[in-house]
Amino acid sequence: MSISKFCGGVAAAGVGLCQYKRGQAPMPEQGVLIKAITEACEDAGFNPADIDGFVSYGDDNNEPVRLMPDLGTKELRLNSQVWGGGGGGIAAAFGIAAAAIGSGQADAVVVFRALVQDNSGRMSAAVMRHHLNDHIISAGILAPAQICALRAQRMFEYYGVPQSVTEELVKASYYHGSRNPDAMSYGKELDLDAYRNGRWISEPFRLFDCSRENDGAGAILLVSAERAKDLRKPPVHLLGVANGAQKGWGDLLENDIHYASAGFQPIAKRLWQQTGLSPKDVDVVQLYENFSAQGIASLIDHGFCNYENVTDVIKFENLIAPCGNLPVNTSGGNFAQGFIHGFGTAVESVRVLRGESANPVPNAKVCLLAGGPGAPTVSSALFGSSSL
Amino acid sequence: MKGLGADKPYWDSLLEGKVRLQQCAKCSKWNWPAVYRCGDCGSWDHTWTEIETKGKIYSWTRCWYDFGVPKEYVAPFVSVVVELNNAAKTRLLGTLNQGDAEVHIGDPVEGHIEFCTFDNEKIPALRWTRTTAQEKSS
Ligand SMILES: [Zn+2]
Repeated sequence: MSISKFCGGVAAAGVGLCQYKRGQAPMPEQGVLIKAITEACEDAGFNPADIDGFVSYGDDNNEPVRLMPDLGTKELRLNSQVWGGGGGGIAAAFGIAAAAIGSGQADAVVVFRALVQDNSGRMSAAVMRHHLNDHIISAGILAPAQICALRAQRMFEYYGVPQSVTEELVKASYYHGSRNPDAMSYGKELDLDAYRNGRWISEPFRLFDCSRENDGAGAILLVSAERAKDLRKPPVHLLGVANGAQKGWGDLLENDIHYASAGFQPIAKRLWQQTGLSPKDVDVVQLYENFSAQGIASLIDHGFCNYENVTDVIKFENLIAPCGNLPVNTSGGNFAQGFIHGFGTAVESVRVLRGESANPVPNAKVCLLAGGPGAPTVSSALFGSSSL
Repeated sequence: MKGLGADKPYWDSLLEGKVRLQQCAKCSKWNWPAVYRCGDCGSWDHTWTEIETKGKIYSWTRCWYDFGVPKEYVAPFVSVVVELNNAAKTRLLGTLNQGDAEVHIGDPVEGHIEFCTFDNEKIPALRWTRTTAQEKSS
């Protein structure tokens, strides 16, 4: 493998993540976001005033121009956001940033997401506001959990995926989270009894099949691979990004063709074609799991397993660092590390390839960031280590 | 109504007690969600055809948490995606009128129109009944 020249060569140079319990951020949303961005700049050894581009996703409320006074921004050259209310746009945001850098529209772009409940309300409610209409309201559907439950039920009952695989995935996330001092679940492995007998939210989901929600903000600074060489940390290269939806998938009032999937089949196909890589080249996965079943569907869509062999692949021992064949969510993921609209999974994609993860994957060179599954538009990205 | 725009005739017909779905006047495609322009053939002409509200459960979820749903739906209640027997197997949404029923994908159902209340507004809704028992006895 050679270092990809995606968009002329773009690298993540710094990461910042400020996370708090839901409703307990010490500052309003914009302040927390400024803190995360300056942390990312410190990490990179980069002057925040030199950031000239910002990209977000998921209906973020923080318009970049309002960040300029705090950051000392000299010139704003790119302010953009991926369409779509859920976490489906997270990886796509890196694609916009890279395209801007590669085409010379901006030099130093921050991808960010900020969520503080006092300012933006409950995350799940905000996501749902994006999608509400009388069709789903009249069916009693007001939450992402219910939509994802409908799709999960089809995967389990019709396609015969055993529900037990979700426990393997959730257990692995908590295994990592319990060993990550920055995780909400630090020191606490999954209580299996609590998982299996948790209260029902929307069948087939019980409480611990649903991701948490946290207050906080995350930021990742992207610059050209050339420029990244001179910064403080080893660059992590963006190898490729794919985003979108294929005909027969989208906001279709539950008429999607591959209904039980997570919507990634065409996106993953494009990502593998674009990079010349395949699932077997991936050393570690940061998997956005809004709900346990959607995490499974995402791994299936990306080609790591299929309906037939899912129980052979999605096994606890396989999913944990350092020895598993497919370590997943080495920070704990959305379940155990915390959930700021999935941004922790993006930050961990960079950290694990730098060797900074609390659960290191020895010699990891390629990390897949699989974005929010089941959303009308979804996106994925591949990152590569500096030694690739 | 806070529908999607092109589906106004659907909501209007529900108020008349009928379920009508949109079909392209040129290529006969059933378009759902409703469209202004048929993406397959480019036609802007559509007919709204009354359909028989019979189908089978395509998927379901029994909701136990209070997400602030219309007050007529008391947890636990079941939301369903129903695949119609006709209209090119278009899927419609709704609730099952038996919240505690043992539900399976593939169960035959029949729908009728009821109203639910959301934000102090009455919204017509599809309420589905499982018809397995009746079919077995007949
Ligand atoms: Zn047509």
